[in-house]
Amino acid sequence: MKRPLIAATMMLAPLSAQAQEVGEIVSFVSCPVYRDTDNGRKSGCWLVRDGESGKQWDVSQSPHKPNWDYAVFVEGRVADQGDEFCGAPVLEPVRTSRLLDHRCPRHMLPPEGYPGRVFIAPDRYLTSLANPPEFEGPFGPRTFYAFFEFDRDFLVYQYSDFIVQQAAYWIEAAQPRRLVVTGYAATDPIEVSGMELAESPEIAQSRAEVVVLALSRLLPGMEIETRWETGSQPIDVPDADTIPGQSQRRVEIAVEF
Amino acid sequence: MKRVGQPRHLRFAKALPVIAAAGALAAASAYASGGESAADERWWSPGEGRVFPEVLDYENEHGTLRTLLVGGPLDTEGHPFFEPISSNGRACVTCHQPADGMSLSAATARERWDATNGDDPLFAAYDGSNCPTLPQGERASHSLLLDRGLIRIQRQWPPAPRLGEEVVPDFTIEVVRDPNGCNSGAEYGPENGWISVYRRPRPIGNMKYLLAVGFNFDPKQGLALPRDPETGDYLSGNLMSDNRAFTLKEQMDDAGLTHLEMLRELTDDERDAIKAFEMSLFAAQQTGRGGAVDDGGAQGGPAVLRDAEPGELGSIGFPVWGEFAAWEEISEEDRARLTPEQVEFRQSVARGARVFRDRTFLVSDAAGVTTQMGFGNPFRVACKMCHNMTRMGNDVAPGQVDLGTTTLPFADHFGDLPLFRITCQNDPHPYYGREILTYDPGFALSTGRCADVGKITLQSMRGLAARAPYFSNGSAADLRAVVDYYERRYNIGYTEQEKQDLVNLMSVL
Repeated sequence: MKRPLIAATMMLAPLSAQAQEVGEIVSFVSCPVYRDTDNGRKSGCWLVRDGESGKQWDVSQSPHKPNWDYAVFVEGRVADQGDEFCGAPVLEPVRTSRLLDHRCPRHMLPPEGYPGRVFIAPDRYLTSLANPPEFEGPFGPRTFYAFFEFDRDFLVYQYSDFIVQQAAYWIEAAQPRRLVVTGYAATDPIEVSGMELAESPEIAQSRAEVVVLALSRLLPGMEIETRWETGSQPIDVPDADTIPGQSQRRVEIAVEF
Repeated sequence: MKRVGQPRHLRFAKALPVIAAAGALAAASAYASGGESAADERWWSPGEGRVFPEVLDYENEHGTLRTLLVGGPLDTEGHPFFEPISSNGRACVTCHQPADGMSLSAATARERWDATNGDDPLFAAYDGSNCPTLPQGERASHSLLLDRGLIRIQRQWPPAPRLGEEVVPDFTIEVVRDPNGCNSGAEYGPENGWISVYRRPRPIGNMKYLLAVGFNFDPKQGLALPRDPETGDYLSGNLMSDNRAFTLKEQMDDAGLTHLEMLRELTDDERDAIKAFEMSLFAAQQTGRGGAVDDGGAQGGPAVLRDAEPGELGSIGFPVWGEFAAWEEISEEDRARLTPEQVEFRQSVARGARVFRDRTFLVSDAAGVTTQMGFGNPFRVACKMCHNMTRMGNDVAPGQVDLGTTTLPFADHFGDLPLFRITCQNDPHPYYGREILTYDPGFALSTGRCADVGKITLQSMRGLAARAPYFSNGSAADLRAVVDYYERRYNIGYTEQEKQDLVNLMSVL
């Protein structure tokens, strides 16, 4: 996964659907379109049109991709890439969250000469049990952050599952006294494409509990306290990939010695 | 129990050198066409006390299936896998026959019916008939076993606790149609706490692959894998169709109390002996229409399975069905000693492996892979996406996926199976909606979750030639029907050549 070097000040960029400068945030809700490119496994394209600007974007690089039955909440940064892969300018990094209360007609485009992208395993690829990472001390207090799709508590493959797995390996090596796991939900409403979006308060607790269950299996016997908070605010940490909304939908794993 | 387990296993390895040596050179072929004695020898009855050779071959319509028993031979007298340790006369071997790749083909069930006039423990009323309430002894009462190799599986409803946690279903289930009577009446059906579904016996053997864990996360569930409370080991989740048993111990206990109708639990010695046998046994096709599958540089057959490490993901290690890469180009030397038909068959197998790995198609609405894990719905992949474990073709991760084989509208029509209506109480199923019609809810009978309706655990692809029909409900009569189902389900557009290449590939696994 590419991680553009975007300054922390970009976190303050306006959530304007009109923003089209490289690095600026674009945010909207719309129905996804699948372009059936075939460049090997997982090479299909996802395109979503911003109804306000009329511009269509390539959002295929989201770690959690759309379902063509439902609208998606798109949050992404304009990338310095052309439309040569899928036929639309690229948002990357980008997140697409499925809104299961908003159905869409299925729509699929043919490749129309676009190749799609050859799948490349992302950096956040689960470590096999045969080759566990090795961490060496000294160890001290540290916080890990796992991130979620909008209003969901699922640890997405090759993204948040990797973060939790790597955290567990580090914790196993560090042998801390205990963990405090806090789930957050972005419950403050925001307006996007004429819709008011807010996560449900309950998702903060369920996110925390999912991560606690995962950690309890990865680290049997570890003392873990579970907490949750609503009204989550953006934070600037690397694995949120500079997407402010993504950083709000998180679980923090605080390691205490 | 007279003699149990590993000690005999080792003792008789020395006592039977002739069989072992003969097996190493040319395996004991226990099949001959026609004749009562050949059929008797092919069928392993409980309590026969036969010796299970180190190498054992059985012919089938595609070639020869071979079992390899590490540390063998094994005197089966007194061994709990082979002895009728309950009152119904069955043993594990009844439904896990060596000639059938340690599963049970429908053809074998029919042969057994004809040979015994239905008087074999295989046809026990409990689950070898469509329902115990039907008149036993009549062929029609055993039609599901005889026609499609199906055994009745009676699941508790609501589901039993899972991983120590109570299961509260998020759906209701009602019986739309009960053609066999085992989902209604005074004793059966969800209102009485039981649901009957009908499934193919899964093959035992090659078990190290089915128990292997490559990663400690289940991407389909978005959770770390659970651990065995006794050993602390991660659990593969790949043993049973509905993943109701996590360990061999749980599977054995479940089978003992149901299929064997035992009135007691298995002893630790019995479990140890069965586990030792299953972990030592490897089964795969050894010859096909192209000759030996480990000839000409190919790496087919059970010996490679015995020696290889399990749990490897084909996309980052040895490619799935890379065993047949050497057959892509046949040397002049090999061409000179093979018939033209054998050469063509080998090349077809090699092409089939390529099709399996590289021929992509659009997968949609397949709960387990197109829902939450992030791939999107739809997404373009090849067969190896889910059948991703090197040398085995099952899923490295827990393999609960809904192909639609048991659930409408994708399932083929079967008027002889019960039909259930599932009504989701909270969120609707992502693809089927709030109400679902299914012949077998599969994984949902274990988890109680509407989202898991129709998910069936991927299984080993080894020994397929010996154990038709296929899919959990026997809906594919032969290997071509398997390919045809995928073609219909995903509108793949395979050419006739690609279909035949896939069939030929599967016939030599």
